[in-house]
Amino acid sequence: MFHKVLIANRGEIAVRIIRACKQLGIETVAVYSKADEDALHTQIADQAICIGKAPSKDSYLNMENIISAAINTGAEAIHPGFGFLSENAKFASLCKSCGIQFIGPSSEVIEKMGDKAMAKKLMKEAGVPLVPGSDGEVTLEEGKEILSTVGLPVLIKASAGGGGRGMRVVHHKKDFEKLFRAASNEAEAAFGNGKVYIEKFVENPKHIEVQILADKYQNVIHLGERDCTVQRRNQKVIEEAPSSLPIGMKKAMFEAAVKACKHVNYENAGTIEFIVSNDQFYFIEMNTRIQVEHPVTEMITGVDIVKEQLRIAAGKKLKYSQADIRFDGHAIEVRINAEDPKHDFRPSPGVINLLHVPQGLGIRFDSFLYTDYLIPPYYDSMVGKVIVHGYSRLDAIRKMRATLEELIIEGVPLNQSFIMMILMHDHFVKGVIDTGFIERHLEGLLRYET
Amino acid sequence: MKREQFKEAFKKKKAFTHALKTYKKKPLHQIKQPDVPKGLYEKCPSCQATLNKSHMFEHMFVCPKCDHHMRIRAIDRIGITVDEHSFVEKGFGYITLNPLFQDHYEQKIVEYKKKTNLDEAYIYGYAEIKGEPLIIGVMDSYFMMGSMGSVVGEKVTKSIEYAIYKKLPLVMFVASGGARMQEGIYSLMQMAKTSSALKRLDQQGLLYISVLTHPTTGGVTASFASLGDIIIAEPKALIGFAGPRVIEQTIKQSLPEGFQRSEFLKDKGMIDKVVHRKDLKDTLSKIIRLHQGGN
Repeated sequence: MFHKVLIANRGEIAVRIIRACKQLGIETVAVYSKADEDALHTQIADQAICIGKAPSKDSYLNMENIISAAINTGAEAIHPGFGFLSENAKFASLCKSCGIQFIGPSSEVIEKMGDKAMAKKLMKEAGVPLVPGSDGEVTLEEGKEILSTVGLPVLIKASAGGGGRGMRVVHHKKDFEKLFRAASNEAEAAFGNGKVYIEKFVENPKHIEVQILADKYQNVIHLGERDCTVQRRNQKVIEEAPSSLPIGMKKAMFEAAVKACKHVNYENAGTIEFIVSNDQFYFIEMNTRIQVEHPVTEMITGVDIVKEQLRIAAGKKLKYSQADIRFDGHAIEVRINAEDPKHDFRPSPGVINLLHVPQGLGIRFDSFLYTDYLIPPYYDSMVGKVIVHGYSRLDAIRKMRATLEELIIEGVPLNQSFIMMILMHDHFVKGVIDTGFIERHLEGLLRYET
Repeated sequence: MKREQFKEAFKKKKAFTHALKTYKKKPLHQIKQPDVPKGLYEKCPSCQATLNKSHMFEHMFVCPKCDHHMRIRAIDRIGITVDEHSFVEKGFGYITLNPLFQDHYEQKIVEYKKKTNLDEAYIYGYAEIKGEPLIIGVMDSYFMMGSMGSVVGEKVTKSIEYAIYKKLPLVMFVASGGARMQEGIYSLMQMAKTSSALKRLDQQGLLYISVLTHPTTGGVTASFASLGDIIIAEPKALIGFAGPRVIEQTIKQSLPEGFQRSEFLKDKGMIDKVVHRKDLKDTLSKIIRLHQGGN
């Protein structure tokens, strides 16, 4: 095991990792920017090194400073957390060349999985279902052929595009030719490139991801799935585990995820994200790092994922076999963000002048807040995560409501009441939601904002 | 002030969540209203404090707030005074008759028997206090105010004779409203009977301690209650022949404060010692031990 680990991150996840290290008897080195001198991770680590100015690119994204901090303090390994340098293949290889263990997969794997086209190719090889469609640009005739194999509805997308331009959804076969031309013309006008490709349009998907642990010795296990369907502009808001999918589908998904990891020789903790619609699941991407919502999996399995990451990186064998993993009850996580729902969720940095955190059986608050802490404006707006564990989904929802009812973080506008409204929403409670849930109901969810 | 801010924050939070919440509503008749059952609490007659009845035995039926010595059932008196499991009751099976054919007297007796689980207003038997054997007799003021009819008189006499027979000291706890009106002359005759029995006890050289409790009045005061070799009283117990109101009306003078109360009577020399209920066991065992070998 390592004797000293540098945590190249800030905020809640840095605190989380430092705590895990302490429990394993590992010395910790925190790095911090000028703006984070007062931050909790700076205070609780055994050593803290300032690595630059407040903006991320000068500090938490500054590879050279982080590497030299590790070398100067004699840290054997670097845990990148999530965000910042966690999925940066260059940083991983830089660590390797300096003889520092990067806690995560190898730089090759990060690179492969970071490249969407490459990742899709690899997944296809591994037999993981992808969203069906064309391999690259198509002409109208080819498009018609694909349409007959893929089935309706399909999405016509501009190759060069983005932001919804040059994009058409085809619901009826007779409209295809018309819409194909329209998309092509729009793409031509907007991007100077009329080429389009076709893929199946996944309606009202659920967002499900599978947590994977893999060691150096080709042992791969999954820790079940997480349902992260409640999203706002692709930002997850509420995550829960397990999902409400049928068992057969879950099994197929787990198998696919494990197979995919074995295929790319994956190592350490990772997540494979799927979208699920109409009893079908499709691979979308792989996250080669710890995730924000990892606590929900920890709550239902009892596996400390960060500790496992450290053990795996230190070259140890996995502590668990697949048979050891048991799923117990239901866990929900909500993200508390310093953002103002009234003003289009704009970030709201400031001083926390009151903090009261309710406690109880199965209630967890992962945060870096303390009273009179100043949330700096330079970084992510997430200030904490509340995680609850109950014997059933309804029990967990009720526990979460009761917890949020009492949770007091005063000083800056937060999304607490917005989350409360989601937890109260009929569709959420019944579980009949998809990724568009918040956009559709935004007005109703914001009606109690004052 | 942080404290005030917190209070304000909690209030705000509550207002928000209450606006959202719909509590389950039950029809009123389905809701079981919580209620304090009857007889769980009693009030101290002196200071009006609410006292849990089930804790009263531990407190020896003394109000923990104002030290008021409450009325106490004979069996509880024995329970708090003598050693555990040492009491053996003697002399039961007496039947109260209605020699003067008073109306409703028999019914009344039946009612009291039901209410108090006693044969009559007096029980006696063998017991030990801290290992010292003795004969103990206790009057129960819940049974017709502990009044002395022919059965009570007979049982008192029997207990005295039992003490003579056993050659053991006798301790008697007195609480009585006096002679029983319904039995008229028959009750009054008990005064002489008990007194002469006590004379015989005295001639045997046996110890007789009489403990006067609230209230000790009438014919009982005028007979065996006042004949103790040692007379002990509980604090603030009313002890006298006629009640203070009767005396006041008769002599047409206002009575001094604490008149007929044990402390007053101790000053006047009618009783020897005023003992708190919780010290009573110690005091009795000490006195009995001191008098051992005196016969």
